[in-house]
Amino acid sequence: MSEALLAVQGLRVRFAGEDGDVQAVDGASFELAPGEVLAIVGESGSGKSVTAQAVMGLIPSRNATVEGSVRLRGRELLGAEESEMQKVRGAQIAMVFQDPMTSLNPVYRVGAQIVEAIQAHRPEVGRHEARVRTVELLDSVGIPDPAQRVDSYPHEFSGGMRQRAMIAMALALEPDVLIADEPTTALDVTIQAQILRLLERLNRERDLATIVITHDLGVVAEVANRVLVMNEGRIVERGELDEVFYAAKDPYTRKLLDAVLRLDQAPPLRERSTAAPLLEVTDLVKHYPVKRGLLSDRGVDRVRAVDGVSFNVEQGETLGLVGESGSGKTTLSRTVLQLLQPTSGSVRFEGREIAGLSRREMRPLRPQMQMIFQDPYASLNPRKRVGQIVGEPLRLQGRASGEELRRAVHELLERVGLAPEHYGRYPHEFSGGQRQRIGIARALALRPKLIVADEPVSALDVSIRAQILALLAELQQDFGLTYVFVAHDIGVVRHVSDRIAVMHEGRIVEQGPADEVCERPSDPYTKSLLAAVPIPDPRESRARRAGTASS
Amino acid sequence: MGRFAIRRLAGMVAVLFAVSVLVFLIFNVIPNADPAKQLAGRAADPQLIASITEEWGFDDPLPQQYLTMMGNIFSGEVVSYETEENVDERIVEGIPATFSLCIGAAVLWMFFGILFGYLSAVRAGGKLDRALTVVAVTGISIPVFWLAAILLNYLTYQLAIFPSGGYVGLTENPLEWANHLILPWVTLAIVYVGFYSRVLRSNMLDAMDEDYVRTARAKGLSERRVMTRHVLRNSLVPIVTLFGLDFGALLGGAILVEGIFNLNGIGQYAYESLLNLELPPIMAIVLFGAFFVVLFNTLVDIAYAYLDPRVKLGSSAQ
Repeated sequence: MSEALLAVQGLRVRFAGEDGDVQAVDGASFELAPGEVLAIVGESGSGKSVTAQAVMGLIPSRNATVEGSVRLRGRELLGAEESEMQKVRGAQIAMVFQDPMTSLNPVYRVGAQIVEAIQAHRPEVGRHEARVRTVELLDSVGIPDPAQRVDSYPHEFSGGMRQRAMIAMALALEPDVLIADEPTTALDVTIQAQILRLLERLNRERDLATIVITHDLGVVAEVANRVLVMNEGRIVERGELDEVFYAAKDPYTRKLLDAVLRLDQAPPLRERSTAAPLLEVTDLVKHYPVKRGLLSDRGVDRVRAVDGVSFNVEQGETLGLVGESGSGKTTLSRTVLQLLQPTSGSVRFEGREIAGLSRREMRPLRPQMQMIFQDPYASLNPRKRVGQIVGEPLRLQGRASGEELRRAVHELLERVGLAPEHYGRYPHEFSGGQRQRIGIARALALRPKLIVADEPVSALDVSIRAQILALLAELQQDFGLTYVFVAHDIGVVRHVSDRIAVMHEGRIVEQGPADEVCERPSDPYTKSLLAAVPIPDPRESRARRAGTASS
Repeated sequence: MGRFAIRRLAGMVAVLFAVSVLVFLIFNVIPNADPAKQLAGRAADPQLIASITEEWGFDDPLPQQYLTMMGNIFSGEVVSYETEENVDERIVEGIPATFSLCIGAAVLWMFFGILFGYLSAVRAGGKLDRALTVVAVTGISIPVFWLAAILLNYLTYQLAIFPSGGYVGLTENPLEWANHLILPWVTLAIVYVGFYSRVLRSNMLDAMDEDYVRTARAKGLSERRVMTRHVLRNSLVPIVTLFGLDFGALLGGAILVEGIFNLNGIGQYAYESLLNLELPPIMAIVLFGAFFVVLFNTLVDIAYAYLDPRVKLGSSAQ
């Protein structure tokens, strides 16, 4: 190994909190060589992001203590003067953050924010020169028409373009080290593939030492040379990419690897005899008007969120609905449940037309169709106790009250793997996975026939995700449930679905049995979607990249 | 921009119309506000009142009376019932005093409001922050008339530093102009300084947690530059809104402060007219004030589009 560019020794970060101290990073040591891509992998709370912030000297000093050593080219950064750190940040170590939507200041032009970075470190560079350099940078990260786009505001950029701009900003002063903290987590999978390829190219062309922080083992396999696995503030596993993937020593790493749902390794489809369709959707359309003026209604435009969609869901099956952001999958699921009024088309539930029914007419049907939401933090009322949340549908529909209600809720909690003593607690006392269990118990309370799950596991860590998916499968068996499983991650969808429908720009571009859609896709969009999914297997990932490079 | 201006202009006319109709109607249901009696003087006989009623058209249908009144206001012919002096001329005479008071106070309160808010936010939790919090809360809580009385008592009557009131024109004698206005400026500005500094402080504290502030630090900007260019700049947007509304409302007359310091501005005129239940000056002043409120609302919207590029003039999306 070549000489270490960045050397972190015994890094410890402790946050003083009201409920006692939190040891966020507990003795992390690692080295980084020029041209190397080091991936730091871990679940939420593992300390991976805090480690990166400590290297940058960006941890707010007020309630945190940082110990150990961070050396850049032999120079100690921990405890360095703030004015010294300002010279390091951006110029020698640059950082790219997770959410490109919020990481750029909305009130300044994209170009101006990059110019600002250049001039902060090189005050002698004139405005014009800095601007010329900015245009070059935007060009090098693949922003089309950079001479024009340099004067755009962040909101005029798409998510992928903003992340490219962030990368351009990070490269502005030709840093030695680039730290990318979950650089693609907020992006669609096809955009993610482009950004990963960009990072890889920059690393190769500029001999840039890169630290990629991620929870996604697929991303790791695509870009990393070496891997650190963090758990609860400690580095539990370290090694070359293949070593970690194929010969992991630590049980936590193995658990993490086992929990990955691979697109190319799905369980065989369940044997199912064809049943009567529970849900028949025909030519469903949902358009939103976009008003142009305040006083005039003229020039009304439409957003075609759902644009003529037809599909059936049979009794007891799981239909996976896949699409990227803006594809209309969430609007579709809400329109099917009549939570949104369809513009036109037909939705039949057990043979009965429900499109266009009034709220009152829908009410007796509501118990039979329930929903599970993405964000277990936002979809539970923080001021209500778990017992109330789970029991509310029963109470509102007049199914149970008093002692009977209490007993029913206890049963439901046990059924989803929670304990009866959780009855009186508040949602914030639970972890993300437990909260999703509460959401499932609530959906289950009225013994529905159909459950629409909108991204039910995308906010969860991989190990928790596996548990929730197993629970959903078990409940489907026991209660004969029918699922519509809405998600952006086709890997997850393949593992839970009997059939898959792929949505793109408001339409279903392809639907069929899960393995057929995933292995023999016919639609070009489906093909590009599948090709963009990172494979959490370094050998296969290399093989695929070699294949695309030669073809 | 063109459509935006036209729509705003139409909106302004609609608001002024609604306000004037409202004031007009209220005056016609208030007891003891018969304009004929006011015109006739104290010891008027019924006959005189009747002839005045006839002559001035006070028995016309209300819409007709309203139109006459509005016509007079906009042609500059409207007169006071009590003194028969021209109302529009009185308002124009009051403009220098009122505008001098408001503009000077606004400069003071924006400067100190932003300065105190900024220092508070940057030193949040520290001694300076706590001291400025006390200053701000005191400023907000002090009643204007009490503060004015205290200032007048100590600085004017006992120490004789400032004159006791009145207005001297800027072109007449700039030094005396300022000397006469210092106490009114301070009195008027103090509430706003307290209020604005608190709003700015909390806006800035929110902005400090934004991801783009972290980005600004990560690119190696100095702490001061992070605070001014990124935190303060983004926190000023709501301050501009507040300022537009407050300033616009004040231009229609700062009744309390003008009265206490005897500035003879529009606010003082409004106060006198209210005491006498005089419809013509009140109508005119209300329209004058409403015009500035609407005008500054529009200016705020234009400033918004400049301060926050995500806002587009003329779209209802935001």
